[in-house]
Amino acid sequence: MPGGSNSGGVGAPPSPPHAAASAPSRPLRPSRYVPVSAATAFLVGSTTLFFCFTCPWLSEQFSVAVPIYNGVIFMFVVANFCMATFMDPGIFPRAEEDEDKEDDFRAPLYKTVEIRGIQVRMKWCSTCRFYRPPRCSHCSVCDNCVEDFDHHCPWVNNCIGRRNYRYFFLFLLSLTAHIMGVFGFGLLFILYHTQQLDLVHSAVTMAVMCVAGLFFIPVAGLTGFHIVLVARGRTTNEQVTGKFRGGVNPFTNGCWKNVSHVLCSSQAPRYLGRKKQLHSVTVQPPFLRPHLTDAQLAAKVLDNGIQGDLHRSKSSLEMMESQSCDAEPPPPPKPELRYPGLSRESTLLNKAPPTPTMYKYRPTYSSPGKNHTALTHAYANQISRGDSLKESSSLLQSSQQPGFRSEPSLDGREAPGERGGAGLGGDRPGGAGSVGGAPGLGGGGIPGYSLGGRSYPSFSDPTVLSPGAGGASRSSSVRSGSAHNAAPVSEATTSTSYKSLANQTPPRNGSLSYDSLLTPSESPDFEPAAPDLSAPRAPVLGYSSPYLSAQLSQQRDVELHQPSASSVSLLSSPHRAHYLRASSSPPPPPLPERERLLQDPHHSHGHSGSRPPRFSRPPLLSDSAAPHPYPYRTRSTDAPPGPSTHPPRSPHPPPLGKSLSYSSAAAAEMQYRMVRKASASAGAGGGGGGGDEIQMKSFSRTNGQPKSSTSSSGSTPSSPCHPMNLSARPGQAYTGPGNTQSPAHKPGGGVKKVTGVGGTTYEISV
Amino acid sequence: MAETHILQDLQHQAAIASKVYVQRDYNSGTICKFQTKFPSELESRVDKQQFEETMQTLNNLYAEAEKIGGKSYLEGCLACMTAYTIFLCMETHYEKVLKKIARFIKEQNEKIYAPLGLLLTDPIERGLRVVEITIFEDRSIGFGR
Repeated sequence: MPGGSNSGGVGAPPSPPHAAASAPSRPLRPSRYVPVSAATAFLVGSTTLFFCFTCPWLSEQFSVAVPIYNGVIFMFVVANFCMATFMDPGIFPRAEEDEDKEDDFRAPLYKTVEIRGIQVRMKWCSTCRFYRPPRCSHCSVCDNCVEDFDHHCPWVNNCIGRRNYRYFFLFLLSLTAHIMGVFGFGLLFILYHTQQLDLVHSAVTMAVMCVAGLFFIPVAGLTGFHIVLVARGRTTNEQVTGKFRGGVNPFTNGCWKNVSHVLCSSQAPRYLGRKKQLHSVTVQPPFLRPHLTDAQLAAKVLDNGIQGDLHRSKSSLEMMESQSCDAEPPPPPKPELRYPGLSRESTLLNKAPPTPTMYKYRPTYSSPGKNHTALTHAYANQISRGDSLKESSSLLQSSQQPGFRSEPSLDGREAPGERGGAGLGGDRPGGAGSVGGAPGLGGGGIPGYSLGGRSYPSFSDPTVLSPGAGGASRSSSVRSGSAHNAAPVSEATTSTSYKSLANQTPPRNGSLSYDSLLTPSESPDFEPAAPDLSAPRAPVLGYSSPYLSAQLSQQRDVELHQPSASSVSLLSSPHRAHYLRASSSPPPPPLPERERLLQDPHHSHGHSGSRPPRFSRPPLLSDSAAPHPYPYRTRSTDAPPGPSTHPPRSPHPPPLGKSLSYSSAAAAEMQYRMVRKASASAGAGGGGGGGDEIQMKSFSRTNGQPKSSTSSSGSTPSSPCHPMNLSARPGQAYTGPGNTQSPAHKPGGGVKKVTGVGGTTYEISV
Repeated sequence: MAETHILQDLQHQAAIASKVYVQRDYNSGTICKFQTKFPSELESRVDKQQFEETMQTLNNLYAEAEKIGGKSYLEGCLACMTAYTIFLCMETHYEKVLKKIARFIKEQNEKIYAPLGLLLTDPIERGLRVVEITIFEDRSIGFGR
């Protein structure tokens, strides 16, 4: 009976229904069926013998209710056994290709999500191509991710998951009852036949009793175990792996609710093998566009591409990269860009999702990062960066036509320029003034434009901003934007905004751009920077036009060496965001330097969080960089190289969305720490020098080669707190989270060293 | 969009531009609930209120499907007593609500999202993990722009 023979229909289970389209066909492994065949054989065989040999006498002797009772219990056992065996446990279908594209090759292996206040990690399943929902686990036997995975039961040759746990539990309960019944009634039989033990009936009954007694102990034990699990609201997987040992189980609702959930909830639906719903809805252009409120438009205008940048498409980034490589004057605007709203949408929409950076950290699952992809942000960035090409020409044009703003293309491109001018000029009213003023500034139109970027959110580095800070900054931007009620000086918006932009009177446009720059002081984030803003400083933070002239870069160099008190105070402000964005003096390393670095096909990814190009460029770097042995997910393996190295760290602003957030946030954090050290130690060396040195080394290691202007300060941190180093450092904050020690080294804080794949060590502040 | 309308005499085709995925909201546990936060990719495509309303209705429907009450209990008892053969003829409560959800999504697509160039995919097709929103773009064929 036992052994390889498949006894009866019950004992010959074909692969359970989950071997449907999305599960790959597995080779037939007869050994998988041994336990289930044995279980089936014992169950059916013993019960049949019991009914044949023991029950007739019992029904005569006592009542017919005995076999009926046993029959009912046995039916229950078989029904639950079949359901547990053949029912789809809750297998997730493999994720589609498109869903995966959003995540990149180097997104983290784990994503955390908060469930009732408790952080739960979701692991990336490389087989199924999604982040496993909480309580989901991948069964290696079945090669499927199963929802609410309990365990893989060999006796039923099936996973026990959400859908069939109830049947498994009831199977255990009923089997225990059945065993007890069979044993009990067999004992009764024997007790009445002590004189006739040589009868066949007695012998069979005794054999059945032995089998029953033998199986009673493990089955009862397992039943008791599962009763406790159900009462506690845990799965076997969680219990055995000790997930909630000493901790709180976020999935429990109390004993009663847990039990009722297992037993009384409606049968969960299967995900595989469903009838494909044909999309009978046809989507035909032309498409309507929603009417955008002013607030929305203003938000769009001023919303820096914090998360949107992270999702920028590869092609758009490449476009920008190529543009940035250009040293020549920009070509005339392409025809498609005359209708920026349309063309940008299509070009941006068409592109594949963001390129992999070396290390994109995805913060808490519920963080806004991922969902803020925003074409708007993409537009903003594309326009600000990609179109910087066109900038100079448009600026020149606009300067020739001071008051004329109604041309969408010019407006779109000019807007940043206007803002740039505003940033520079401060009080200059009107667009004409802003634009006209731009050329008047040192460095010509471009610097003017770039200066504007200082307070223009899109030029800041949103990746560095925490969602909170980012939100704050965004809200401040919105406030300043909405103060002008105008619209949309946003090149990031759709053609509707362009239309509205075009329809506006020039002065409004101009004043809008100016005022939005002037009013950053409204926001708390900007307040410390307000004095700086008013002071016309030449090079600006955050703007990274590839066309930054040498003059400008020199100006930046100068800035580097002249940290002002205000900048230090800014730096020491806890808000990295506005430190990076608003401080005009402590510049990040000269832009051309950075660009060169960025364009360097190096591992260095992420960098100081102050420049917009950061989100655009690092991905390019990472594209050319060799794959890291980091615990981010790869396309092929699922093995975590080690403990997750990207737990959300409290000192950080939770990195936003994808892309550079981790590295730039880390870089920003590092800068922040350095600044604090600097300010704390009043410029004296030592102190946090150790940490800084480590960080500096990490930078230089990451960068791979010493960079010209910053190499001295970068690779040899002689005096980490030296202002020059201090200001230079941020620019150098290329962090290779995988390469080097984690930049999240917190002086004096708990630091956990984690070894990643390839032997790299990370320091994670805990 | 004046620009687009000018081009209406050209042949229009809708092409899939990108997909937005609205993930599950696990704040309240493993109950089926989707984030109602408005994804930024849709900012220019659909009204925020409308979208949030759709998501909220969807969440309410899923809550109704997973509700543990007298109806689901009776269904369970009946199934038990008939050795689960009742599942061969009767539709479970959850399945009934899923059909309702499918109808709701279809209606939303037809009425609201398709005209905007969007398409909502029933999350059950993705294992109730994400709501997939396909963004279509207007690809005009012919000279233009």
